[in-house]
Amino acid sequence: MANLLDRAVESFKRVGEGLKTVFMHSFREPTTQEYPEKIQDLAPHFRGRLALAVNPDTGDHLCISCRQCERVCPDKCIEITAHKSPETNKLELIDFKIDHGLCMFCGLCTEVCPTTCIINTNDFEMADYSRESLIYDIKRLTLTQDESTYYFDKKELPRPKPKAAAKPAAAAGAAGAAAKSAAAGGDAAAKAAAAKAAAAKAAAAKAAAAKAAAAKTDDGETKAEPKAESKSEEKAAEPKADAEAAKKDVVEAKTEDITAEPKADAEAAKKDVVEAKTEDKAAEAPEKDAKKDVKEAKADEKDPE
Amino acid sequence: MNAAEIYKLSRLAIFWLSVTFGAVWVACWGVGVFIPSLITGKMPFLLQVDNPSTTVVFIADLLRSLTPILSLLVFIPINAMFMVLFERRSLALFTVRMGPNRHGFDGLAQTAADAVKLLFKEDITPRGADAFMFTLAPIIFFAPSIFGALPLLAAVTNNHDLFKVANLPTGIFYILAAASIPVVALVMAGWASNNKYSLVGGLRSAAQAISYEIPLVLSLVTMCLLAGTLDVVEIVEQQKGGILNWNILGGGALSGYDKLAPYWLNLVDTSFDTSAMFGQFYPVPWLSSIMAFVLVICTVLLFGLYLTGACAEINRIPFDLPEAESELVSGYNTEYSGIKFAIFFLAEFTNLFVVSSIATVMFLGGGDNPIPKWILDRLPLEPISNALGSLLSPLIKDLMFIDPATFWAAFWVIVKVYSIVFFAILVRGTLPRFRIDQLMDFGWKRLIPLALILFVVVVFARTWVVCHG
Ligand code: SF4
Ligand code: SF4
Repeated sequence: MANLLDRAVESFKRVGEGLKTVFMHSFREPTTQEYPEKIQDLAPHFRGRLALAVNPDTGDHLCISCRQCERVCPDKCIEITAHKSPETNKLELIDFKIDHGLCMFCGLCTEVCPTTCIINTNDFEMADYSRESLIYDIKRLTLTQDESTYYFDKKELPRPKPKAAAKPAAAAGAAGAAAKSAAAGGDAAAKAAAAKAAAAKAAAAKAAAAKAAAAKTDDGETKAEPKAESKSEEKAAEPKADAEAAKKDVVEAKTEDITAEPKADAEAAKKDVVEAKTEDKAAEAPEKDAKKDVKEAKADEKDPE
Repeated sequence: MNAAEIYKLSRLAIFWLSVTFGAVWVACWGVGVFIPSLITGKMPFLLQVDNPSTTVVFIADLLRSLTPILSLLVFIPINAMFMVLFERRSLALFTVRMGPNRHGFDGLAQTAADAVKLLFKEDITPRGADAFMFTLAPIIFFAPSIFGALPLLAAVTNNHDLFKVANLPTGIFYILAAASIPVVALVMAGWASNNKYSLVGGLRSAAQAISYEIPLVLSLVTMCLLAGTLDVVEIVEQQKGGILNWNILGGGALSGYDKLAPYWLNLVDTSFDTSAMFGQFYPVPWLSSIMAFVLVICTVLLFGLYLTGACAEINRIPFDLPEAESELVSGYNTEYSGIKFAIFFLAEFTNLFVVSSIATVMFLGGGDNPIPKWILDRLPLEPISNALGSLLSPLIKDLMFIDPATFWAAFWVIVKVYSIVFFAILVRGTLPRFRIDQLMDFGWKRLIPLALILFVVVVFARTWVVCHG
């Protein structure tokens, strides 16, 4: 009986304590964060939507088409199309598809990537109307240079070295290399290649100008907001893709005239594209510089002749 | 300090309470006072006949007698909407969340939208279900909360003329009888649904109701023993005059002290000889005092017993085994959708309100003012009430819109009832659900013996103390 009473008193005490604790909770600030109005600061290693980074310093696409990510992915949701360029004997990335509808955001692909190209962004607002639109192609996956910089800084990743694509000789002077090749390979072919290169450059310059404009609008919305970035990405991704197309054009030009010595040409053209881009990045008044770039591109066009 | 959310909750409560009771008040006044007086008073004057015809008088009487039912019909849906929102907001407060705050003004209209949504949902009868019983169950579940609450109306409105008709000499008995009907509906709903979860839920509710109705009724029977009557209006009358007279504090065992305290505390004429009066209330001085003390303990325990039993009776957490979401999907109402589900929902919250009102009437003095008289005497209320009275006199005297006594009784009842509801929500936020064997253990091995012991103790103790009865 006494035991029973003790237990009753004890349990009353405990229930009372519980009630008091719960009641005191009402004096605490709610921990709820009202999502659309207030977005939480995500951890640097938050595993959101996947994306392909470019070199923050040069803007080169970092993917080397090694297919490590494709192999390691447990869901087999990465699909890489690449071909071996006969000139450089290196893999050229043609398309890169990730099915985000299949992806489980395990992050394995980002772990294995040797160039830290594929990364998890902080974007998690990926709702879409169809399964097909969850399959992101290279255009939607590739980040702009600014975004890449943001994520490289945030994740404290080591900056990749600039692509050692152009050989020292080529690096010495694109124009010289082109001229050399022209001398070696024959005039007609060299002219064709040069024209193509020029066209590619012009396209690249245009793209760079557009991108600069996009970047300019971005500046207003502060880079630190991942959301703002992800929105601007659509805009920014397009000129990027243009640049890709330009690059591809160059590759095609090369494959067309096999008779000429295309290696140096290709490198030169690519290098040019890169230069056009880097110059543009460095410029403070982007529009003006873009014009200048076009001019330079024209000058370059004359140079090999 | 979480002032913002607390402020929002109180604003919500005040807004919805004024909407709820304003609507009820206006409906009652319109049907019970205004229209009858119009057709019996003004119409004959306009038609230039001396007396209203017997038909008109009959209609006026009919309207008056329908007022109690009408008041409940207006009250129940609005109240349920308020209580759902109140519960969600309070639970959010207790669990350090925010609760519904999108729809309407900071979520004020959330449940209104929910109700509309619920009414437009498809009403599905599962294949293999007993369609007739399936439809009947929500009705049987809902009906007692209307007619069972009728006798309480007079008790909570200071025996207002309009609600007098609904009062019964055996009010509490009737209320308890009505309150035990919903269980039948739960078993019926579970059985007719052709669903195993529903069936288990229904059977559980039957087992639970049988176990917990005994302590519930025993506690109320003990209170009736102290009060000496089954009439709820009379029980409320007895408890008038301050906190010490309320049934929760000894069922009148302390009212002698209440009456004598002013003399002892030198608040009034000190020359008065108190011993004679003391002897009147407490015949055997020392034994009576002890017994009064014992009675106070007993009644407080009985109050706890009642709350526990009531909680189980209306299937609230921690006794929500019949609809345990984590075990039985939703128990007896798994298969219900649309308006039938809405009716279950309405009835559940109305039941919560009804058991809280019973607790208020039986234990907490009904519409009695909890502020002690000697505090009220010191406040300058006289001029204020006079000024208000003259200001509102057209409303009070001519239109009979406000009856001050009824108003204050209703006001205090509302405060007390919703305090109990708030406590029930707090309990819900704190305690986990019982396991079925623990539930049975607790009911049969603890509560029922306790109720019986208290009953016997009260029977003996009250012979030495003059209680209400
Ligand atoms: S995160 Fe995991 S599942 Fe998604 S693409 Fe990378 S490896 Fe595949
Ligand atoms: S692992 Fe990295 S570099 Fe290799 S294919 Fe994948 S993204 Fe490209």
